[in-house]
Amino acid sequence: MSGPRRWLPWAVILPIVGLDLFICVRNPGDLDRLLINMILALSAFVTLHAKLLSLANAGFMAIGAYASAIISVKLGLPIAVSIPAAVLICAAVALVIGLPVLKLKDVYLAICTLGFGEMVRVLIILNPDLTGGSTGANLSTGFPYEAMKQTRTWMLALLLAFLAYLFWAIARSRIGRAFRALRENPQAAATMGIDIVAYRRFAFVLSAMIAGVAGAFYAHSVGSLDNGDFKFNRALDILSYAVLGGSGQWFGSILGGGFLTALPILLREVLGSSIGFLKNFAQLPNIINGLALLLVVIFLPGGLASVFTFRKKRRPGAAAAHAPPERGRPASGTPLLVLDEVSRHFGGLEALSKVGFQVEEGMICGLIGPNGAGKTTLINLVSGLFPPSSGRIVWLGREIQHRPAHRIARAGIARTFQNIQLFRDMTVLDNVIVGRHTHIRTSLLTTLLRLPREGREERSAQGEALALLERLGLAGLAEQQAGNLSYGDQRRVEIARALAQHPRLLLLDEPAAGMNEVETARLGEFILELKQHGTTLLIVEHHMDLIMKICDRIVVLNFGKKIAQGTPALVSRDDQVLEAYLGRD
Amino acid sequence: MAALLEVRDLEVGYGSIEAVRGLSFDVEAGQIVSIIGANGAGKSSTLLALSGLVRPSGGSVRFQGTDITGQRTDRIVRSGLVQVPEGRAILNPLTVDENLELGGWTRKDQHTLRAGMEAIYALFPALAGRRRQLAGSLSGGEQQMLAIGRALMAEPRLLLLDEPSMGLAPLLVKTIFDTIVAITKVGTTVLLVEQNARQALRISDRAIVLSHGRILRQGPSVDLLADPVVIEAFLGKSG
Repeated sequence: MSGPRRWLPWAVILPIVGLDLFICVRNPGDLDRLLINMILALSAFVTLHAKLLSLANAGFMAIGAYASAIISVKLGLPIAVSIPAAVLICAAVALVIGLPVLKLKDVYLAICTLGFGEMVRVLIILNPDLTGGSTGANLSTGFPYEAMKQTRTWMLALLLAFLAYLFWAIARSRIGRAFRALRENPQAAATMGIDIVAYRRFAFVLSAMIAGVAGAFYAHSVGSLDNGDFKFNRALDILSYAVLGGSGQWFGSILGGGFLTALPILLREVLGSSIGFLKNFAQLPNIINGLALLLVVIFLPGGLASVFTFRKKRRPGAAAAHAPPERGRPASGTPLLVLDEVSRHFGGLEALSKVGFQVEEGMICGLIGPNGAGKTTLINLVSGLFPPSSGRIVWLGREIQHRPAHRIARAGIARTFQNIQLFRDMTVLDNVIVGRHTHIRTSLLTTLLRLPREGREERSAQGEALALLERLGLAGLAEQQAGNLSYGDQRRVEIARALAQHPRLLLLDEPAAGMNEVETARLGEFILELKQHGTTLLIVEHHMDLIMKICDRIVVLNFGKKIAQGTPALVSRDDQVLEAYLGRD
Repeated sequence: MAALLEVRDLEVGYGSIEAVRGLSFDVEAGQIVSIIGANGAGKSSTLLALSGLVRPSGGSVRFQGTDITGQRTDRIVRSGLVQVPEGRAILNPLTVDENLELGGWTRKDQHTLRAGMEAIYALFPALAGRRRQLAGSLSGGEQQMLAIGRALMAEPRLLLLDEPSMGLAPLLVKTIFDTIVAITKVGTTVLLVEQNARQALRISDRAIVLSHGRILRQGPSVDLLADPVVIEAFLGKSG
């Protein structure tokens, strides 16, 4: 960030921290509320960060609150048992309702999760023996309420600190990187081997657990629980903390929660007593909060956190010369990929009909044909973006036509996209490192304990990514945002990202589009080099000089049907091919 | 007489990338001018700055004698400078007819709108048979024709084309270049960005060669076709 705006992050942080400190000193009773809301803000951040517009947080908060209260009051167990139990109950509920609900997107997910929150409230009202029903549960008898008061604030502060550490550690690990990739482009993330369904579920469950623990502490900080505390507006409040903070960086939510909680308290305390009419103006805090949210969304669409820019410190990794792993000379002629009568329709349109051919290990196979012939559809089928309507796709002897994209990627098939699908807001280097995702084995535990293994793996992934960029002539652009690169350079980044997966088969969809003849020729040499190192390639391309020069076999499609197949020499003389595609001079 | 388009010291940057570093050139009415250069040389950025989709960070653009630097794209389109974007950007869920109608947004009455559409269908007979078809179901070549047709509906005096031949089958590449020549015959001036340098130089009157955001060469296309530097960098050995 350039000089004149260096004050901006401080202009955001200092007033909010000042505001929060002011509340701490002047009104310690509100401190717990402040901390609980910051924790709730993190729970909303998790789902928002994974591009899930969930309004279930108030529901999970209610489950956490009632579960912990019931366990400690009715069963007489200590909070050391009741709070963890409440969190686990939230996790279990989130797992179960996540199964159907996470299939939905955007507004539909929001409506559905809102319905979930209301259902929780209805269940609370319908079980008065357990919960106190609509009149609320008086929890003060037999409740460790008074005794807890002293330690509660410290426990909340510790919990917040632990969560902050958790988020900080995850954000800089492969898991954080996978989340950023999936949030920018789920389709491309899946073809990097990232299981997007599992990641979304993880985010949903984590969010539920955090909301649950906040709810449990909330229960133990009020004398009686009222289902009205977990209504629709609570869900909106929680979401607005995270929106104000921004969905890109976790600490933004803490700032957002801190600001939106402290501001109304401050207004009531300070202004309320000095200006008479405000005293009775109960809606004022809502108006002020709404206004603050509106201003931030308009002027800082990325939220409060977006004023912070970090220059990542890259430890000088071993940018060691990297060659793709030698697979030894493959036994030429082993069929790697076999397509057998593969068809795919879209509605009434038959994009591919009964196409069959095979790709042997170590070869470069070209796939050509007029625009709309079904070439990209075929690449999408092989990489698992959607299944064929009929027919079999066999990889190393196993049928893979119904496997999801991330499993196909893990099996050794990587691809690039005709319409470029980079993670545009990530750096070029990070894009390529995402390609290493399935090869970095760091677990969540390793990340949290900061074991040396993580640093080692990250450094080696980074070193390899840099070496790949160098080989593709992109080393100078490593720290640029991928979306800012020219079209042809973006294509090269896609190739580097795919190569980082160490694929056995690389599918290139029009790799030379947007390159001139000299650049195309250079790309051709690079592809031949890949073949030398044992990578098998299937290439869709319209540059005939390139195709004819590098391919061992060419398959020609027209209107979804295979019309020719053979060596370049054979195909370029074929009457049907000349008619449909190449043209006669 | 002043040129149709006068560009002076144009600069465009994204973040820390300086894509265009001080370009000056003119485009005379009635000509085809092509811009060629390697990837990242600043070709697309130049077009985006001219059509107002990206705000230039320095320099000036005058069109028909008026300064249009940093103006809003819709105003620039109304003044007669229209861009066909890279990657076509046609509206897939709309029909061919509807795409063209939107292109004629600036036309005042139904009568000239219809007449304009008929003229486009006369220029691209392949589209005429597909009026009610969804644009997304067209083949790549037809989509490119539709994108050009849609731009022509705004009655441009200057048409900016960004890589019209990209991703097209060899047979269609020739058709698209023939089309470009055809539209200049009816009085539209064309500024063309192409990776297919040889074809671009063959059909254009003048050309500008960019390298790292600066002008490396500019002059009549015939001369550039024979220029050793251009041959070395963009045309390759084969004739």
